[in-house]
Amino acid sequence: MTKEFQRFCAVDAVPANGKKAGRVNGTPVLVVNTKGKLFAVSAVCSHQEKFLTAGRVRNCRITCPLHGAQFNLETGEAMCLPATKPIATYEVRVVDDWIEVAV
Amino acid sequence: MSEQALEKGQARCPGEPSTQEIIARDRVKAPQWVTSESYQFMGDEDVTIDRYIDPAYAEKEYDRLWTRTWQFACREEHIPEVGDYYVYDIGKHSFIVTRTAEDQVKAYYNACMHRGTKLRPSGTEGSATVFRCPFHGWTWNVDGTMKEVLCDWDFPHVNKSEFSLPEARVELLAGFVFINMDKDAPSLAEYFGPEAMSHIEQWGLEDRYIVAHVSKIIPANWKLTMEAFMEAYHVLETHPQVSVSNADANSQYDTYGDHVNRFISSLGVVSPHHRGRYSEQDVLDQFTVGDASVLEGADRTLKEGETARQRMADMMRDMFSKAADADLSKVSDAELLDCFSYTVFPNTFLFPGISLPMVYRFRPVADDHRKCYYEVFFMHPVPANGERPEPACEEHLTEHQSFCEAPSMNDGFGAILDQDTENLLLQQQGLEASAKPGITLGNYQEIRIRHFEQTVDKYVNS
Repeated sequence: MTKEFQRFCAVDAVPANGKKAGRVNGTPVLVVNTKGKLFAVSAVCSHQEKFLTAGRVRNCRITCPLHGAQFNLETGEAMCLPATKPIATYEVRVVDDWIEVAV
Repeated sequence: MSEQALEKGQARCPGEPSTQEIIARDRVKAPQWVTSESYQFMGDEDVTIDRYIDPAYAEKEYDRLWTRTWQFACREEHIPEVGDYYVYDIGKHSFIVTRTAEDQVKAYYNACMHRGTKLRPSGTEGSATVFRCPFHGWTWNVDGTMKEVLCDWDFPHVNKSEFSLPEARVELLAGFVFINMDKDAPSLAEYFGPEAMSHIEQWGLEDRYIVAHVSKIIPANWKLTMEAFMEAYHVLETHPQVSVSNADANSQYDTYGDHVNRFISSLGVVSPHHRGRYSEQDVLDQFTVGDASVLEGADRTLKEGETARQRMADMMRDMFSKAADADLSKVSDAELLDCFSYTVFPNTFLFPGISLPMVYRFRPVADDHRKCYYEVFFMHPVPANGERPEPACEEHLTEHQSFCEAPSMNDGFGAILDQDTENLLLQQQGLEASAKPGITLGNYQEIRIRHFEQTVDKYVNS
C-alpha cells in the first residue's frame, strides 16, 4: 500500500518547540517542531502503549512522561530502557501552510 | 639558605618565579581568590596502593565514602521546569533528582516501594507529571508523596502518608545540584569551608551553561584517574606539545580543609624545564589553548619588550568578549589565561577560568574497581541576551575511542585528554604488579593527591 500524504494540521498549530497529537487513518501520530525541523512519529510508546504526547523533547529525543523511555525523533530508535523497540516514524512536509504526514 | 635547611614541603622550583610573581606582573590584576596561597605540608610517607587495586577497598568506599559525601548530581539547567528530572547513579545507588517547585529540588531513592523496580532508568533525564512504576503502576506525585496503589483493598497495611519516596539531602550552589545520602553530614557550606566557599561564590558558574558533555570509560580506578589531573608535574613527559608555554614546575598548589584543593598553572610563560631555549616569540607561536581556531588570523608578532603572556591575555580578552558578547575588561589576565583546577571531594573538578572552562566528574563503574566513568563538561557563559541554551547532550565514548572522536571535542584538547588517560591502564596494571606497597609523592607538586587520599582515608576508616 502506498503511503499518501494527508493534511494533519495548520502549520501555525505546531510552533517552534511545540508538538501536536492527532490521528491519521486511525493511527495516533505526534508531530514535533524542534531544532528548526518538523518530525512525525507514533504518539504511542513502544514500551507499554502509553501516550508520548506530554513527553519532554530535548536534543531530538522524546521522553515518555510515564516510565521514562526515550526515542530518537529522527529514527524512532529506543535510546534507553524500559523500551527496547523503536517507535514508527513518518514522512512529514509542509504544503500551503498545512503540515502533511504520510502514514 | 641552602635547600637542605628548608623545612619539609618548603622547597620550590629553584631560580624560577612563583605563580604569584608571574601573576603580579599582569596588566589586569587578579582578585584575592587567585592571589592567595594555602599550602600545608601533610607528611611524606608513601600512600598505600590497596586503595587502587583491592575490590574490598572499593566496597568500603561504597559503605563509608559515597554514602556520606556531597556529590554533584546534575546542573540546575538539566531540570529547569517543575517535574523535570535527572537520574544520578553512584555504584548501585540511584537517585531521581527532580524540581518540585521553582526554588526546590529533591532527590528520591530510585526504587519503587512495592517490589523495588527503578522508577526511572539510569543514565536518563526527562520530565514527569508523576513517577509511576512500570511494573504494577504504583504512582508518586512529583513532590514525592504517594498518589496511587492499584487494588489498594489488597494493601490495607500500606499507609500512604508513610509511603512517600525516601529522600537524600539536596543543596544548590552555583548552578550545581549537590546531594548527600547522610542525614548527619555537615551542610555544604561547612563541608567546603569558608575560604573555598568564597572562591566558588565569586566565579558566577550559575551563569554558565553546558556547551559540550563528553564521557568515557577509563580502564583504571576512579581515584587513580582523578589523580592524573591533580598536578602539572606530568606535563613535560605527558604533554610535550604544550609544555613550552606552561609554568609547570612552578605551578601553585593549595589545600582548603578536608574537601577542596587546587592548583594554578600559569600559561603563556616558558616552562622552567625549557628556560633559555625558547624566546618569548617562540612561546607565543607555540601557545594553543582550548579552541585554538579562534586565534586564526590574529597578529602574533611580538613588539620589542612585549611578553607572550600579556599578548595572549589581550588576545583572549578580545576574543572571548566578542564570542560571549560580554564585557571582560575587568576580568584579570590570570582568569583569562591560566588553568585553575579545583577538586571538590570526592569526585568533581571545577575549572573556573575563561579559556579552560571545564567541569570533570569521575565515578567508579559499579562492580569493577578497575574502571571508572569520566565526564567532561565545557561551560560557556550564558549569552548576553540572557536566553539560556539547552545543556548539551552527553556524547559517550567507549574505552578504546579517542577523545577527539567526540563531535563537540576540540582536537587539541582531545589530544591532551588522550595523553592524560592513555597511561592509566599501565599505571593500574603496574600497581597490581608492583613489589612496592605504596606510591611516593612529591611534597609540593603532588600535595593535592596526598590531601585527597588523606580525606579518602578519613571516610573509609571511620
